[in-house]
Amino acid sequence: MRSLAVDEAAWGSAWRGRSPGDKLLLCAGLVGCALVLPAWPGSVLVGMAAVGLALGPARVPARTFGRAIRWPMAFIAIGALTAVVSVGDGGLGWAPDAAQRAGSLVGHALAGSAAVLLLATTTPMSDLLPALRRLRVPEAVVEVAGVTYRLLFVLLDSLHTIREAQTARMGWSSPRRSYHSAGLLAAGVLTRSWDRARRLQEGLAGRGMETGLRVLPEVLPSSRAFLATAVTGLAGIVAVSVVVA
Amino acid sequence: MHIAEGFLPAGHALGWTIAAAPFVAHGARAVVKEVRENPESTLLLGAAGAFTFVLSAIKLPSVTGSSSHPTGTGPGAILFRPPVMALLGTVVLLFQALLLAHGGLTTLGANAFAFAVVGPWAGYGAYRLTRAAGAGLLPAVFAGVALADLATYVTTSLQLALAFPDPAGGLAGALAKFLGVFAVTQIPLAIGEGLLGVLLFRVLTVNARPELERLGVLRPAPVAATPGGVA
Repeated sequence: MRSLAVDEAAWGSAWRGRSPGDKLLLCAGLVGCALVLPAWPGSVLVGMAAVGLALGPARVPARTFGRAIRWPMAFIAIGALTAVVSVGDGGLGWAPDAAQRAGSLVGHALAGSAAVLLLATTTPMSDLLPALRRLRVPEAVVEVAGVTYRLLFVLLDSLHTIREAQTARMGWSSPRRSYHSAGLLAAGVLTRSWDRARRLQEGLAGRGMETGLRVLPEVLPSSRAFLATAVTGLAGIVAVSVVVA
Repeated sequence: MHIAEGFLPAGHALGWTIAAAPFVAHGARAVVKEVRENPESTLLLGAAGAFTFVLSAIKLPSVTGSSSHPTGTGPGAILFRPPVMALLGTVVLLFQALLLAHGGLTTLGANAFAFAVVGPWAGYGAYRLTRAAGAGLLPAVFAGVALADLATYVTTSLQLALAFPDPAGGLAGALAKFLGVFAVTQIPLAIGEGLLGVLLFRVLTVNARPELERLGVLRPAPVAATPGGVA
């Protein structure tokens, strides 16, 4: 894992130039709908909208979207199955309304995950972090989060390089060697992260860093048409769910 | 093991967010104070957050034959203390939700409570108790890192059991179910991550002793008197 596929998709998305606030409103609305509306038809509509928007207008690669949703799907499948199995005196059995409960759980979780993934695959983290300032998160915390995001890729690159070298030396050829290599790998990445941070600090101090690490935010204007469509679509999902359910 | 988006009912998601909030706010205050006193800490704390995220990308061989990923909060709690990890862990969870689709936004509070609050505090407590009992650094690191993992897994299982009590067995039955199902991956992972912590700190005590002394993990080595030196 040298880079992050979801982050790459966000930078390459057709919605990259849209206002993060607009996308946040749409995705938060979809997440809210997935959480509170009945699974049928609410979650189905939310899931279809999130996947349709991601693969359609936002032009997120289907392969990236599909691979990313596999992780939550594994947890959702195991969690839902466990939730609907009943432990009684006679041992294990299905809960009385097992199919309905499992369907509802899977529906809510898959629709919510798809809505979060729509935001993640269309909005790079560096566009979302300034939103934390507007939520009154302390400046120091936003800066630490910003440095974390930027250093992630440097450290992932270090991780990949060290692991490649270890593999070439048969460092991952047996469980015992793998553990030894994993320890060396973690220590190597940690000491490199300290070294990177120290060198960055020295470089910034040499340039007179006195007012934090703020950079000029990219101005991405809000679109009234996008907002109107998003609000109308969300209202439609709520209306259909209330009428049908 | 993060709870996926939309898996918890709205009331539970809100309740766990309220429960985690004071710890995360306390961590944020500790970070703000640290950055105000030492502005260069921003970069070191950012590096610590990035390390915690990247640590979860290291694959550990599992006894079940597959591989698993460490949580990374145990070593972080020992190195940077639990209050800081409450904030850094929450930031890492946010990044995992938005960069890896692990966890979620409405479940961020529940995941933060298990992963960034209970795990680090339990792990750090075990580490300090083991050191206080006279054990060396490495056994204490094993205890701290493994318990941070186990505490996270038990808390997540409890959160799921509270949300989905068993119709026949109630809360206890549901807890036994979730603990049992996730034990297959989480107990080997806790032992594996404990071993990884030992190997990590063994290398650090050799290669990064000054940093460990500055962080208070190791006591500064006594300076040997040199003949003719200034007393």
